[in-house]
Formats: sequence, structure tokens, C-alpha cells
Amino acid sequence: MSTEHADDLRTDCTAGAGGRITFRLRLPSPAPARLLLVRRHAKGRPEQESRTLALEPAGSDGEVRAVLEPAPPLAEGRWDPYVLRGPGAERERLRPGLRDVRALVEGCPRDRPSPVAVRVPYATVDGFLAVRAWLRTAHPEVSRVDIADGMVTVHARLHGTGLSEGAAGVLRLRGDKDTVRGFPVRRAGDGFSFTVAYGELVAEDGGARVWDVFLRPAADAPLIRVGRLLDDLADRKGVFVYPRVTVGGSVLRPYYTVDNDLAVEVTARG
Amino acid sequence: MKISFLVHNAYAIGGTVATTFNLAGALAERHDVEVVSVLRNRERPSLTPDPRVRLRALVDLRHERDHPLHGRPAKVFPAAEYRHGAYSELTDRRIGAYLEAIDADVVVGTRPGLNVHLALQAPDRVVRVGQEHLTLDNHHAGLRTVLRRAYRRLDLITTVTQADADSYRRKMRLPGVRVEALPNSVPDPTLPAADGTGRIVIAAGRLVPVKRYDLIIDAFARVVAEHPGWQLRIYGRGEEKDRLRARIETLGLWNNVFLMGAATPMEAEWVKGSIGVSASDFEPFGMTIVEAMRCGLPVVSTDCPYGPGEIIKDGEDGLLVPVGDAAAFGSALLALVRDDERRRRMGGAALGNARRFAPAPVVARAEALFGEAVEARSGGGRGAPARSGLPHTLRTGGYAARDLARAAATSALRAVRKGRR
Repeated sequence: MSTEHADDLRTDCTAGAGGRITFRLRLPSPAPARLLLVRRHAKGRPEQESRTLALEPAGSDGEVRAVLEPAPPLAEGRWDPYVLRGPGAERERLRPGLRDVRALVEGCPRDRPSPVAVRVPYATVDGFLAVRAWLRTAHPEVSRVDIADGMVTVHARLHGTGLSEGAAGVLRLRGDKDTVRGFPVRRAGDGFSFTVAYGELVAEDGGARVWDVFLRPAADAPLIRVGRLLDDLADRKGVFVYPRVTVGGSVLRPYYTVDNDLAVEVTARG
Repeated sequence: MKISFLVHNAYAIGGTVATTFNLAGALAERHDVEVVSVLRNRERPSLTPDPRVRLRALVDLRHERDHPLHGRPAKVFPAAEYRHGAYSELTDRRIGAYLEAIDADVVVGTRPGLNVHLALQAPDRVVRVGQEHLTLDNHHAGLRTVLRRAYRRLDLITTVTQADADSYRRKMRLPGVRVEALPNSVPDPTLPAADGTGRIVIAAGRLVPVKRYDLIIDAFARVVAEHPGWQLRIYGRGEEKDRLRARIETLGLWNNVFLMGAATPMEAEWVKGSIGVSASDFEPFGMTIVEAMRCGLPVVSTDCPYGPGEIIKDGEDGLLVPVGDAAAFGSALLALVRDDERRRRMGGAALGNARRFAPAPVVARAEALFGEAVEARSGGGRGAPARSGLPHTLRTGGYAARDLARAAATSALRAVRKGRR
């Protein structure tokens, strides 16, 4: 049902640097309508969180718009917008029109307060409009990754909290919380960096494994995920691609997960 | 007027499809317009035509791929045409039937092989317009020979640049056939233009060798060395992707140069940038240059044949550099990266100058050309002898026979060449 209408519901949106998103679409009938944002859950699990926004007429040509204000922040995840035309009407998913997200490109030139909330409108693989949201108490934003001489240096900037004595870059083996490697943090200007020797990440048996990258901002503080969230890209994995380096019988490559968090994959040399 | 566009596959993404949809959509404001797609491979077209434009297909590959006639090589569609392999006796027949029954005033072919169909099979009552979206000089001699014969029976040939129109006039000897440049148009942007504050250089197009993205990456290395905050984003898909990725890694540019994949619509991407780039060795038109300019970006481009030099005013709304010269390309880029004021001024000029490629002036030109062709045709008056004075079917047969002989000769030649390899 909803797919039959979907082409009529091509929705433009504009994202502001502060998190505000304005949705604009044209509805054929002037009946009051609302925009429903639903947080997507894993298959088979019920949807729980949603937001309902008023769609207000804007202009004379049938355009309506809804504004998602920066506060309160959206829970981390993927949010699907639908239009609700009248009470009891079936919800209809929206197709992406023009997404003006240029205000997000420059990331964040200033320190962000906690919690760090990010929203990036994007087009899903199957061609619908969606909003990617992150919500973190603190966030180390990767600015660049240097790879040379069997080492990777991660340059980042910490938002939402401060860096204290004993701060360290920490790599934790995925699937084994007890296997961690720590690397001292150097401060530089507004940011910091740490250098990981690839040799420390290779398994003795040369097997495949993944290390997730964290920051421990102070000696006894809990780990926080290192990633790159503060620009216009909702799906970074296929775009920010780092080179592979061979160490012994293993090939190592830093990469961004589907959640735009930084990880290092180790695979056996082919 | 009733206008019918004949395209290869309106359901796929491509420059010709985009520009045909643009022109058809703009003409549909005052005329009855249809786009007829020879092939169809999916339910919905990848690009969305104006709702007033009717779209239909002649051969639906989703059901007819195994049609026995589709297995036999095309005879009307010339063997010398690049796309001959996608055509068949089935497309020959369907296109023939479409043209025989056509009730349009003007039929517009959008690639050489389809223009040949028009020349051979369209009835005299309809004005035949052949569009050249590539260039005459880039066609191989075999195809040029086929076109030279067939195109005599067109009323109007449109090229996308003046330079190519001049080539046709000089080299083709087509008495009575009007040849005129009709540039591609780019829709009026709906987003506010880029304001020149962005630090992104943008290129877009298929990732194929002729586009020379390798040269853009090499040139951008100089920009990164001096301005590490700048990014180069390359939009598009294609066979060059792995090679370009390797180039990025060799030069250590993975923090600044990104292969973005395909993006539609590009408009929302252009406005994130503040400089557009194109480094092609050859560019029949240069659609992405116009797209970037219409979004307020000055464009650095190679001065390759034919389009860029007719689009960019060097030093005013962009910079033209010699073909294949990465050092010159890097210097031109740096000149704009370093100078915010100059970049902004040129972006403003680009916005204004590129309005000549807006649908309104381009469609007005197309309308005038088509209208004059219809008038010229009806000016002959009813009962006036057709140009050759022979019954249409006979002439068609004659041409078809000759073309057939030519096609046979060409495929024989190909077989010989293949055998030698």
C-alpha cells in the first residue's frame, strides 16, 4: 500500500549544524497530516520509540513542513520518517528528495558539550529517507589516520569531556573484553593522538580478528568509542577507506564499522 | 507540436537519458511529448522524467530477453554502431513498427544507430531530427561512412557544441540537412547556491579512463600539501575505481581524497563544495561542468575537445588548463584554493554565466529549430515531390540494402580482425 504512494512523498530536508532538521514535502490533499519518526529495531523486535511532528502548511503550493528541533536528542540508531494522513490512516514511508546537509560538512570546529548528539539524514540502500542518530556522553572524533612503518596513528578531538592524566588509546579484541592493548595519548593543539604498533595486534596463530578502538580519557575512566560522526556522511565504511599493511603473515587495515566507529581488522595474508 | 524522442534505454542512468528527460520535460510545458525507450530492463526509470512526459518501451528485456528474434543480429540498426550488440531483429521490427505508426510532428533520435533508423524508416510526414550527443570526429571511419549516407535523409542534425556542428558541416556534405548546435540543459537548481566557504573540491562522472580522475588526484596532492583541510570528493561508479583507490593510497591521500560512489541528485552534493573539477582528455559536452556552475561553483577543467572551452570563460567563471598536465591542473586548483575572494567572485560569475544552459533558453532554441524544420517541410506543400522523387518505401529499401551490405562487410572485417588476435 504505502509503496504505491511513496513516489508522491519525495521529501526534501535541510539539516542545521545544531541538529535541527526541516522536512518538506507536498501532499495532494490539504487534510491535516503529521510526520512520524520511528526508531528502527532489529528484525523481529517491536518498535518502541517514536516522535510525532506536526506538518504545517508552508507556502501556497501544497507544501507542508515539519521541524525536528535539536532537543530532546534522538536515541542512537536509525530513525524512519513516515507521513500520517489523518487519524487512523496507514503510515506511509518517505522517499528522499534533496537532502541539504551542507551545514554538517565542516564537522565541529568547537568543543561539543555532553551528551554529543548527532543527526544525519540519509537515503537507505532500498531508497527511503532515514535519519541516522548518535547519542554519546563523550565522543573522540577522528580527524585523520596516518599509516606508516608498521604503525597507525589516530588523530582525534575529544568532545563532551576532558582529557586527564593517564589517558590512553585502547584497542579491545572484539568478542573478548579481557584482551586489550593500551597506547599512551599525546596532546596536540585542540586534539590528541596515539600510535598503535601493528605488531601488537597480530595473533600468534595468524588468525583473523577485529580490534575495536576506544579512548580511556582518564586513568580509571570507562572506555569510550573512537569514531567519526561529525560530518555529512551517515555511511562512512565504503568511503573512508584506509590502506592495508602486511605484518608477518597478517594483513591489517583500520576501517569504520557500520556505526562509523573505528576498528582495525586483522586477516590472514592471502 | 507533438514530439517523440527515441532513446536506447530510458530506464538506465546516463548522460543522454538525463539530457533527454530535461529537454522533454521542458518541452512538455507547451507541447505533447513522449519518450520511447527501445529497451527496458526495470520497472521504474533510474532518473525520473517530468510527469507530463509519457514514457514507454518497445522491447521489455524483463520478459523478452529470450525472444527468438532478439537472438538474431540487427540489420537496420547499423553494425558499425557501438551498441549493435544490444540490438536485434526484434528491435529492428519494433522500431520500424513504431516509426510506421508514428503520429508525431517531430521524431528525435538520440544516438547514431537510432538516427539511422529514423532516416531509413520514418515516414515523410514526420520531421526527422538526429541528435549527436558524442562527436563526429570521435566516431570510427566505418560508422562515419554509414552516417554520411543515412543522414542525408534527416531534416535536422543537432550537436551539443558549435565545434562539432562545424565538423558536420565541413566533413559530411549533407545537402538540405540543417546542422545546428543545441547544448544540453541543466534544470534550475532548487537549493541555494554554494557560497564559496566550503573546502571541498568535487568531480562527478563515470569512473572511466577518459575522465582522467587519476590526474585530478595527482594534482590534488599539491593542494593537500599546502592546505590539509581540503577534501576532494569524486562521485560516480566505474571500472577505474580500484586503480584510483590504489593511486590515493600510493600518494598517501586517504584522509583527503574520497571515492563517494554514485549520488543522485548531484545538486545536494555540488552545494557542499566550492570548486568543481573535470580533467577529461575528451568531453563531447561537459554536463557536470554546467551542473557545478549552476550550483555556484567555479570549475577547473582541461581545455579538451569539445565542450569545456564553450562552457567555461577562462579566468572569469573557471580556469582552463592544457589536457593531461597534472602540474598545470594543480597550479590552477591552488590558485582558487588560496584565494577565497577570487573563488567566490568566480563562483558568482559561474552562476550567472551558466544560466544560458537553463532549460528555458535551451528549450526555446530547440522549439525554434523543430518549428522551423516543420515549417520547411510543410512549405514544400502537399503533392510536392519528396526530395529524391522516389516512393519512400523504395528509397528506404535501397538504403537498407546498402546499409545491410555495409553491415555485412563490417562484421566480416571484425571477424577477420578477431581471428588475427
